[in-house]
Amino acid sequence: MTYQSDLAPTLLEVRGLRTEFDTRAGTVTAVDGVSFTIEKGERVAIVGESGSGKSAMAMSLLRLLAHPGRVAGGQVLLDGRDLASLSERALNAIRGREVGTVFQDPMSSLDPVMKVSRQMVEPIMRNLGLSREAARAEAIRWLDKVGIPDPEGRIDAYPFEMSGGMRQRVMIAMALSCRPRLVIADEPTTALDVTIQAQIVEMLKDLTAEAGAAMMFITHDLGLVARFAHKVAVMYAGRIVEFGPVDAIFAAPQHPYTQSLLRTIPSVDATKDTRLPQIPGIPPDMRHKPEGCAFRARCAVATARCALEAPELTARAGDLAAACWVEGGLRAAPQALEPRRRVAAPLDDTRVTVEINNLVKHFEGRGFLARNRRAVRAVNGVSLRVRKGETLGIVGESGCGKSTVARLLLGLDQPTSGEIFIDGLAQMVFQDPFSSFNPKMTIARIIEEPLAVQNWGDRASRAARIEQLITQVGLEPAHLVRYPSQLSGGQRQRVAIARALALNPSVVVADEPTSALDVSVRAQIINLLADLKADLGISFVFISHDLLTVRYISDRIAVMYLGEVVEYGPAEDVFDRPMHPYTRALIDAVPIPDPRLEAARTNAPLRGDLPSPLDLPVGCAFASRCPMATAMCRTDKPRLKKYRQSQEAACHYAK
Amino acid sequence: MANETVDTAARRPRPPALALPTEGLWANRKVQVALMILVPILALTALAPLLPLQAPLETNLRAIMQPPSIDHPFGTDRMGRDVLARTLAGVKVSLLVGFSVATIALIAGMILGTLAGFFGGLIDRVVMTVVDIFLAFPSLLLAIGLVAIVGTGLIPVIAAIAMADVPRFIRLQRSQVLSLRSRPFIDAARTVRASKGWMMTRHIIPNTVAPMLVAGSIASANAILVEASLSFLGLGIMPPAPSLGNIIRDGQTYLQEAWWISTLPGVVILLIAFALHFLSDGAREELDPRARK
Repeated sequence: MTYQSDLAPTLLEVRGLRTEFDTRAGTVTAVDGVSFTIEKGERVAIVGESGSGKSAMAMSLLRLLAHPGRVAGGQVLLDGRDLASLSERALNAIRGREVGTVFQDPMSSLDPVMKVSRQMVEPIMRNLGLSREAARAEAIRWLDKVGIPDPEGRIDAYPFEMSGGMRQRVMIAMALSCRPRLVIADEPTTALDVTIQAQIVEMLKDLTAEAGAAMMFITHDLGLVARFAHKVAVMYAGRIVEFGPVDAIFAAPQHPYTQSLLRTIPSVDATKDTRLPQIPGIPPDMRHKPEGCAFRARCAVATARCALEAPELTARAGDLAAACWVEGGLRAAPQALEPRRRVAAPLDDTRVTVEINNLVKHFEGRGFLARNRRAVRAVNGVSLRVRKGETLGIVGESGCGKSTVARLLLGLDQPTSGEIFIDGLAQMVFQDPFSSFNPKMTIARIIEEPLAVQNWGDRASRAARIEQLITQVGLEPAHLVRYPSQLSGGQRQRVAIARALALNPSVVVADEPTSALDVSVRAQIINLLADLKADLGISFVFISHDLLTVRYISDRIAVMYLGEVVEYGPAEDVFDRPMHPYTRALIDAVPIPDPRLEAARTNAPLRGDLPSPLDLPVGCAFASRCPMATAMCRTDKPRLKKYRQSQEAACHYAK
Repeated sequence: MANETVDTAARRPRPPALALPTEGLWANRKVQVALMILVPILALTALAPLLPLQAPLETNLRAIMQPPSIDHPFGTDRMGRDVLARTLAGVKVSLLVGFSVATIALIAGMILGTLAGFFGGLIDRVVMTVVDIFLAFPSLLLAIGLVAIVGTGLIPVIAAIAMADVPRFIRLQRSQVLSLRSRPFIDAARTVRASKGWMMTRHIIPNTVAPMLVAGSIASANAILVEASLSFLGLGIMPPAPSLGNIIRDGQTYLQEAWWISTLPGVVILLIAFALHFLSDGAREELDPRARK
């Protein structure tokens, strides 16, 4: 038997979708007339920054929007049936059965008081019409497929008994187990580490291909898109500004936004002597959306027409469609060469700003019974030096102890043993500037606080210093009277940097300073940090899991794994010729924003999860996941040794 | 979401210092209703001496138990006293008790709760043990006990009710401080070597004031009811000095013949308590947008 719908290639067709949020400040149009199609078995990536409406759009397809949001218009045709006009009851039959969903945070989308088995078995019974036993066997089969070890045992676990990566696998198994024809995945790997992210993406790709399901993948990570998608839709301010096949989008993007976005990402082999191209300004406030093209304020080729009419998607070369009045986008204008990055004063190798010797930090467990009182061994003997004017990048997955090292450096925690010497003062730039500011203080008082605490100068000289600092980080003195909630993410991070510089520190520790920011403003902050380093000659400790950024900004890199430094050396050397298998795996896992390079890579994702820092292995900490591990690695702990001129690694098999 | 990235020029500057969202407060429907009740009552109470009424204590044996009329809008009682005049005098006592109790509880709760929450350890254990003991008694019972020990009158009543309320405020303040203490901006203050006193006065307390004020307005409503109950039981304000509680007690005996003596002051208490609850509800909605449905 063949249905008409089985012959048609189109699975999902979205026409003129509009989603509105009724807020106190008025109606916000989060999705403003979005149209696209997904064919059977096709993987479409929806790319955009926060506030671009990508998640609101995905939620609108199945009417899963939270309260003030509502679908205000348009059609969502799944095999010709309009989901937008279906009753809630009819739609419920489609959710899960025909369209599966995977969300960003698996902890909050799994019921914490229900065993995995209950959450999986009942939908399978209902949707596939199986008996309880058959459904349970099916659930176990899927858990096995998504790589959960011991699926027969783990199916009766509670979500909190699993790691983040495991939970996300369970979510995927749940989404796929009812054999949906479309899977909507909203930032499914954003909360995960790169090595786990690589595993999950690979698995999603294989499993959807195997099941013949189409997939809509929402992300802000262009590297993942290159690895994963057939087609890409780029969203900006509630509209799709560019749509087309992944190769064409990366090779010859047509919309100025896509073009600039691709240029702002530091590349794997880029020289570090030019500044990162940056997109000026910040994304528009969706509550006061500008007339005409929403991108025009940040666009180098905007014309008078852009201010009057919003462009529709029109066909371009390479099967692309772009919504721009200027044919060719930024290529229409002569391309200005990026200015050279300001070069830091030659490093004075003899002066060391920070010296850490054999640093150890164990957090005592709070267990009531003695047997529960095991220490979390967060940092296990780290020795590092930061020279004057040097930037040290620390990379590693969550739980590797990189943030604990930062807290110890700042004196926020006391080390269990070991020594820290700092020549001068250390200051910190936190990951999320919003939560690191007191919401009841003005920007002026936030920047003034370090000066006021130290009784630095009098009122007038402090005011002058604050003004100097705020202009130094590229903001206006007019910003000083505002509150943190009135600034954008990028502006807040500039304020955080100004505050960190107030007391003329000798070293600034930046813990993931760009990870809470939108892609288009990240480059601005990275350029600012690079400029400050050159101008002020201060040292930086730059902690991040974003390897491309660390490579761009750092002079030296330390790679951490389970509280130890496993590799250390000049940034380019560590990247181009990694010696430790973990460093290599980490670099291999980083998605490269170029589909041709991605296709050429042999990504054998690192297997397994991090061992628990509660009971660390006796031998090499990495042995449980290492492809080269031998019996010796499991019993003998390798020490950090110098191999090449300046590179050090802790591996028995490093050459 | 979009509200993170804001076109800053278009936003109005927020009021400084405690940054209570006052504009939203005035626009809140519940707050408006509360004020529509409270403002006339307050005005009448303040203007009572100027109104053409008998003095609250003045008796007129030729006009006892008169029903409400133009001369005596709330009627007269068994000694020919004007019930409206006595009610307004009673409201003055009630509001005084409500305001004093809330202020004492707020200040004491703020200080002890902040110290207990911020320092933890021994001070926390001592304070919280005492708090838990106090919280084990119903507040009216506790107030009755305290009045029995200290004696009757305005000051003892205020002290007794405040004693029963302070532990609740310590609890609230401590829980707020505990959650603020682990916020990154406290770490940020520590990285610039801010002292503990600095962190408490600049970072912790300003962020706790708004919820404490909300709790304060509920506490004042509660205090007014407890004072009325005490006076009704003959343990609060002693007659002939008027208090809403003892006026109602006076009239209770004559409920059949002269319903107005008890009923009308009772309605006034009801209105005040209702308005104060509405005020705190509305304020809470403005301070915590999630409370709004």
